[in-house]
Amino acid sequence: MKHKLEKLRAEFLTALENIQDLPALRDLELKYLSRKGELSGLLGELKDLSVELRREAGEFANVVKQELQTRFNEVQLTLGKQDQVAMFLDATIPGDKLERGYLHPLTLVRRELEDFFATLGFSVLDGPELESEFYNFEALNVPAHHPARDMQDTFYVDLKNKQDEYDLTMRTQTSNTQVRAMQKYGAPLKAIMPGRVFRCEATDARHEHTFYQLEGMMIDKNVNFAHMKSVLEAVGKKLYGPETKLRMRPKFYPFVEPGSNGEYTCFLCQGQGCRVCKHSGWLEIVGCGLVHPNVLRAGGIDPEQYSGFAFGFGLNRLAMLKYNIDDVRLFNGGDLRFLKQF
Amino acid sequence: MYLSLNCLKDFVKIPKKITPTELSDLLTMHTVEVEGWQAQSQIFDRVVVGKVLSVSPHPSADRLRLVQVDVKKETLAIVCGAPNVAQGQRVPVALIGAKLPNGLIIKESIIRGEKSFGMICAEDELGLGPDHEGIMVLADHAKVGQNFADYLGLDDIILEIDNKSLSNRGDLWGHYGMARELGALLKTPLRPYLQINESILQPIGKDSVAVKLEDKNICPRYLAVKINKVKMMESPRWLKERLVAVGARPINALVDITNYVMLESGQPLHAFDASGIKKISVRLSRAGESLETLDGKDRLLPESSIIITDGSEPLAIAGIMGGLKSAINDQTTSIILEAATFDAVAVRKASQRLNLRTEASMRFEKTLDPNLPSVAWQRAWQLIKEIMPEAELAGEPTDVINFKLESEPLAVDFSWLKKKLGYKLSRKDAINILERLGFRVSLSKNVLLVTTPTWRAVKDVVIKEDVLEEVARIVGYNNIAASSPAVALSLLPDNPELRLERNIQDILSGAGGLHEVYNYSFLSEASLTKLNLEPTRYLKLVNPISEQHVFLRHNLLVGLLQNVRLNQFNYHSFGLFELGRIFLPLPGDYIKDAKGELLPYQGKRLGLMIAGADSAAVFSRAKGLVELLSRTLWPQSVAEFTALENSPLWAQPNQVAGIYVAGRELGLVGLLENKVTTSFGIKLKVAFVELNFQDLLTLSNSMPSRQYREVSKYPAVVRDVAFVVDEKILYNDFWRLLVNFHPLLNQAELFDVYQGGALAAGSKSWAFHLTYQAKDRTLTAEEIDIIQADLIQACRDRFDAQIRNF
Repeated sequence: MKHKLEKLRAEFLTALENIQDLPALRDLELKYLSRKGELSGLLGELKDLSVELRREAGEFANVVKQELQTRFNEVQLTLGKQDQVAMFLDATIPGDKLERGYLHPLTLVRRELEDFFATLGFSVLDGPELESEFYNFEALNVPAHHPARDMQDTFYVDLKNKQDEYDLTMRTQTSNTQVRAMQKYGAPLKAIMPGRVFRCEATDARHEHTFYQLEGMMIDKNVNFAHMKSVLEAVGKKLYGPETKLRMRPKFYPFVEPGSNGEYTCFLCQGQGCRVCKHSGWLEIVGCGLVHPNVLRAGGIDPEQYSGFAFGFGLNRLAMLKYNIDDVRLFNGGDLRFLKQF
Repeated sequence: MYLSLNCLKDFVKIPKKITPTELSDLLTMHTVEVEGWQAQSQIFDRVVVGKVLSVSPHPSADRLRLVQVDVKKETLAIVCGAPNVAQGQRVPVALIGAKLPNGLIIKESIIRGEKSFGMICAEDELGLGPDHEGIMVLADHAKVGQNFADYLGLDDIILEIDNKSLSNRGDLWGHYGMARELGALLKTPLRPYLQINESILQPIGKDSVAVKLEDKNICPRYLAVKINKVKMMESPRWLKERLVAVGARPINALVDITNYVMLESGQPLHAFDASGIKKISVRLSRAGESLETLDGKDRLLPESSIIITDGSEPLAIAGIMGGLKSAINDQTTSIILEAATFDAVAVRKASQRLNLRTEASMRFEKTLDPNLPSVAWQRAWQLIKEIMPEAELAGEPTDVINFKLESEPLAVDFSWLKKKLGYKLSRKDAINILERLGFRVSLSKNVLLVTTPTWRAVKDVVIKEDVLEEVARIVGYNNIAASSPAVALSLLPDNPELRLERNIQDILSGAGGLHEVYNYSFLSEASLTKLNLEPTRYLKLVNPISEQHVFLRHNLLVGLLQNVRLNQFNYHSFGLFELGRIFLPLPGDYIKDAKGELLPYQGKRLGLMIAGADSAAVFSRAKGLVELLSRTLWPQSVAEFTALENSPLWAQPNQVAGIYVAGRELGLVGLLENKVTTSFGIKLKVAFVELNFQDLLTLSNSMPSRQYREVSKYPAVVRDVAFVVDEKILYNDFWRLLVNFHPLLNQAELFDVYQGGALAAGSKSWAFHLTYQAKDRTLTAEEIDIIQADLIQACRDRFDAQIRNF
């Protein structure tokens, strides 16, 4: 038995010395050291020996086994190192390519503002895109044939009412939701109303007939002009940083009185004047004003009890400024080369 | 609209130290938006005085000449077509790069083989008059090389106003109104508009014009006066210059005067040739009436337009344009001057229907002050008398007055005003601001009683909030300091709809790997035809902008297919989704108005589209995405696909399934018919999912909140079994039997589908991992054997399923 073990030891060690690579080493391991290898075979024979011989041979067998395993491990380690040196691994190559999807840039801008307004306590409301003339115009203090209807070229839907007139529009502004919101929730009210709006105009790099707005309104007792300014200043700082300034000037919108435009200092040139702000230093971002008493009344709110302000942005414009997008048509174009950049 | 600084200075004192930019800013920040300003000299940039050195015939064109022109710095060769060009003339020369007022940009060119390095200009090309008979010949003393603007002595500054910002301010459509604003802003005095020697208002005779208003509602005021001994002549240079400065084209002195008075006062005037007009009658047009207008076009008059007639035949479209027959002409010696106020809505409607917007109609539709005609006609008469001293007033003006503008003063509580502004302002300052704008203010305790001037009373300032705006804008919005509103703390209400939208977007763009698109709400008729749909069944626009966007989308499919077509050239395998509204001619959820009618249906849909090379793969991926969505939104439920009785036209039969979760139908998933994809120009295989967002929301709201399910401490035993069934047996039916079979059989997961090979034709094999587990003990092999034997028997009984053992 001892002899057999020594023979096996000698064979193994000789073979081990001639091993050049890891696959050959693996073969050697299988032949001698594995569960069904020669060493296990010999060890299996131990049970046939007498108790005394078995103990003696067993001890020797253990010594041999440990030695062989140790030598094997040494060679494996050496070959392994050689192998690592031989096969150069470039640690700088990229890892697995994990595919992901992208959200639309307008979704991103919209969420950012929704979350911001939530911090000021404004809820988010939705309204119809196919809207009656009543909510899109009349309720907003724009009676039929008011010149203000010229300000917005309106798509009409080919469905006449009982008077044989077209009175369904694709909403020209998210303001249609103002009166709906007042009727539903009453006062006080703090809400923003983002959504898709439509204007009947030819498209080019700067004009789209389908785009997005975000409307906001706050109604409470004693809400005034200075309050509106504070909210709009906060919006500017949110959009363009803590140094952003707000400039307001009169602008006519039938649904507010007084009506105003809000401009923020250009984030690119900090008000110095550049291409983005057309060298004015200001970016025209928001339309706003104190809610017209007729609009409050249309919403069932008593203008002597309550007052409020309203404002609106074009989300496409915000996204264009934020991401330096130069063609508004890209938003509805569905081109993945565009959409996969956000 | 253009404003001439010189003209403004006629009415209000503007301190010299104020620059045009400051003036523009002042108006922009307090009144209306000034889009920009331009020194008049810039209008003739690169137009200089040249001297014609020689004129020779063009070798290949009889009517053209080759001209050498000295412009001081150099001598230019110019090809000229004017018959009157002659050696020695001083002429205006537009150099290369000049942009003329008519929009023409001068470039180096070759005309019939001869090079030309500029252009010698005619009067009309420079916007200085109607003459195109020949080039403009300048005075002999004109300095060669001199800037043309300097030669003309043009020193005006022109401000451009954004017309849209004027839409509520009829009073600002003339220089005098703007001057009034500047007076209030600069605190400088405003001159009265009219400064006239009363003696010239004495008529020579008693020839007053007979005026009849057949419909009193359409014309608050009509003033007409006959003026004799006038003639067709050119306007004096100052008048032409004033008109040119603000972009109006000089025509002849009488027409120019009416235009000029409109630009000054905002009141449009019209001059009829008086010959043959016995009387003036104002009425609404009747069906079929037409008029040849000043621009030479024969126009059918829309019914119920206001027209001026001679008692029977139309002479002019009121407030829009005059007729050619009664226009001022070479033989004119006597005119009827009209200064009137017409109903704004009627003028606007007629102008829209005629598609004819004029300087006059733009003003009338803003609603004008009916007091303006009396000053405007006198101003026009003053100018006529100045230019044609022999002119005579034939009689007293006929003035039909049909309005009352004595508005009650508005009571504006001063403390209310201050509170609404959030600004500390003295009562004196507020009153001062209003008075400078022409309001009359008296005080009763702390209440301002504000009487609106007639030019603001027509529509513009009618409630106390309007008065508030006047004060606010003159104070300056930027001088009001921001202050945070102090309101009671309130809970932001939960918004399950928004939450679900965001969840869906995040799941699909995250683990789903889909890209979000926003498509138009409109479709072309062609796209409906491609889907075999009848266009008359869908809503469409009355006034579409292009044939691509006519119908309101009734699904999200078409937009997504168009996205695939576009992207297939750059990507071979991709997925898209859109969450948006569709429109159907059925009553929807939103009310239309107080009468309780409902707007058309416009529910939201969620559309998913998978494109790739292999049909089975895209269909399977589409279903996988539905499962992902369902699993993430409602972990306690499983999405099931069920066979559809009626598959939609776009889908391949048998490759379409209804989607159910918790027993609720949510939408469908299908593989696109090849004919459809081909017709959309798509080469890839496409699968589409459409889910009804409202149903997703209802389901989400009805689902119990997430609950942790205890993980069993005892091991699960997985047995793999392959069943062979007829290929027509639907997975969903079979699977239901498995999962509902025994409480210890927890899961049945399909891991292989096989057909062909050793299997009999018409049959298929499904291999399942069947997972058995108990919460309270380790299951024994015997226990499981019994359940599984029963299960296999049940499958055999119900589906004739065999165990696949080869």
